[in-house]
Amino acid sequence: MTSPLLEFRNVSFSRGSRLLLDRLSFAVEKQDMVGLLGPNGIGKTTLLRLATRLLRPESGEILLQGKPLVEWPRRGLPRCIALVPQELEVPFNFCVEEIVAQGRVPYLPLFARTTSNDRKAIDTAMDAVDILALRRRIYSELSGGERQRVKIAIGLAQQPQLMLLDEPTQHLDIGRQIELMSLLRDLNQQGLTILAAVHDLNLVTENFSSVILLTPEPSWITGPAADVMQPQLLERAFSVGQSELAQYFTAPARSELIEVQWD
Amino acid sequence: MALLFVGLLLTIVVATAFGPVRLTFADVLRTFLHPSRAGEAQAIIVGLRLPRVLAAALVGGALAATGVLFQGLFRNPLADPFVLGTSGGAALGGALGIFLIPTLSFAGFSATAVLAFCGSILTMVLVWYLARASGHLAMETLLLAGFAIGTMLNSATVVFELHEEASNSGLRVLAAWLHGEIGVPAWSQLALLAPLVAIGILLALPVAGRLNTLALGEEYAAQLGVDVARVRVAAVILGSLLTAAAVSLGGLIGFVGLLVPHFLRILIGPSHVRLIAASALGGAIFLILSDTFARTLFAPTEIPVGVFTAFLGGPAFLYLLNRRSREATQ
Repeated sequence: MTSPLLEFRNVSFSRGSRLLLDRLSFAVEKQDMVGLLGPNGIGKTTLLRLATRLLRPESGEILLQGKPLVEWPRRGLPRCIALVPQELEVPFNFCVEEIVAQGRVPYLPLFARTTSNDRKAIDTAMDAVDILALRRRIYSELSGGERQRVKIAIGLAQQPQLMLLDEPTQHLDIGRQIELMSLLRDLNQQGLTILAAVHDLNLVTENFSSVILLTPEPSWITGPAADVMQPQLLERAFSVGQSELAQYFTAPARSELIEVQWD
Repeated sequence: MALLFVGLLLTIVVATAFGPVRLTFADVLRTFLHPSRAGEAQAIIVGLRLPRVLAAALVGGALAATGVLFQGLFRNPLADPFVLGTSGGAALGGALGIFLIPTLSFAGFSATAVLAFCGSILTMVLVWYLARASGHLAMETLLLAGFAIGTMLNSATVVFELHEEASNSGLRVLAAWLHGEIGVPAWSQLALLAPLVAIGILLALPVAGRLNTLALGEEYAAQLGVDVARVRVAAVILGSLLTAAAVSLGGLIGFVGLLVPHFLRILIGPSHVRLIAASALGGAIFLILSDTFARTLFAPTEIPVGVFTAFLGGPAFLYLLNRRSREATQ
């Protein structure tokens, strides 16, 4: 049996005195498309930063392709796993192509020049998110939707196995949200494993195969999207009433009836 | 880049020809080809003009390159070589030299030059350790510590000014020095500082490549496998060495480190590797021109070159800024 692409084993993490993640365990299998849900401040971004080694867990272990994260070489890690951050502000007038080119940094030693291979990876990445026409545009002058595509292109230029996205649909209008989700689905179908923090519950059931729902205890629920996206679970996780939730979100039909136990 | 390099060579020749005694370009070129030949023109060129022009080139190049390093490191277009408080240490060192041991010199270095060099380096070390005291190094703390230390040390020079009541000569020298003044350095001084500046700028090139990644933010750069801490240390060390070298030759010359990188960024784009090379050359050209004006315009009175950099650079900069913002709105 092959090991999962990304695995958290009993990972705990606190911010200050507040326990954010308590012995969190889950696994992301190759070519999964996983949605990461939970109320504001619950630790979604923290989880993504732990997975990219920007933070170290207090206890527990994180494995990437079965190998502990701490053992991955500095520039080997970003070749396997790419994090697309929530916000990207770039000072100075860097153009889109220069920014996407930074995705090749994990492949370039300090004194190396970009090769034709790098050029190709950059072009392919920009093509995949359809921003070839923007390559000479100044990044800081782009719209929110365009910026989101540029950020994903940086991640694709890294040629990773796994892409983590932090609220990729934030600040986007509904049309751009749908475009973005279909882009992610396409990338997923081409073999990219995706773990994305999302806020819009309606986007989750249609687009994601499974869900990790972080709840305030702290605890978590993980499973196929149709099973986790049930009103009684979401009401408790997000602390909202049944009727209020129903106005915003229509629960999917459950694949099977499961009984989820709460601590 | 080649254009800038040719421009620098031309500027050196032209600037060397200008002065109280007007020399022809032929004189200058002849001296370059046969430096040992005797003659009045040769004596002026080798003894006075050329060392000063070369010093201006070194100072301008070092300051402009440091400007690029620090603007990239702090992701802030307003950063300049003195942003970490080095100016304070340099001022204090310079004041010590001017007031206490004005006549002392070793190997062609005046005490002022040596103390200014040491002052800026020591300040940098102090600021770095103060900023690190809180555990890990935050760029904001580094900037604030730099500001505080720089201001404190600057104020400390007032003590010397009060102490010097009898004659005002020291005060005038200090005032000129604080505005930036490139004297005529000894050749031995140039021989030591030229390699330092050249090596500093060459080593800054690979660091500049990583600054492009750092522009995405420190965390993003770390996520892309960049050793952010090492890039920071390298940028700060190289920047302080270059600034110290510049300060020991020319005092506190403002505006070059801020303005030249900006000017060139508008012309050739923000990519730091190209920008640092272009800024080093452009800074050298800019400061040679400024210094030539400073010493000839109201000859025999000299204006501190720092005053000139502001006069020349300010309007040019505002013009470019204005043009760019108009383009952006179109």
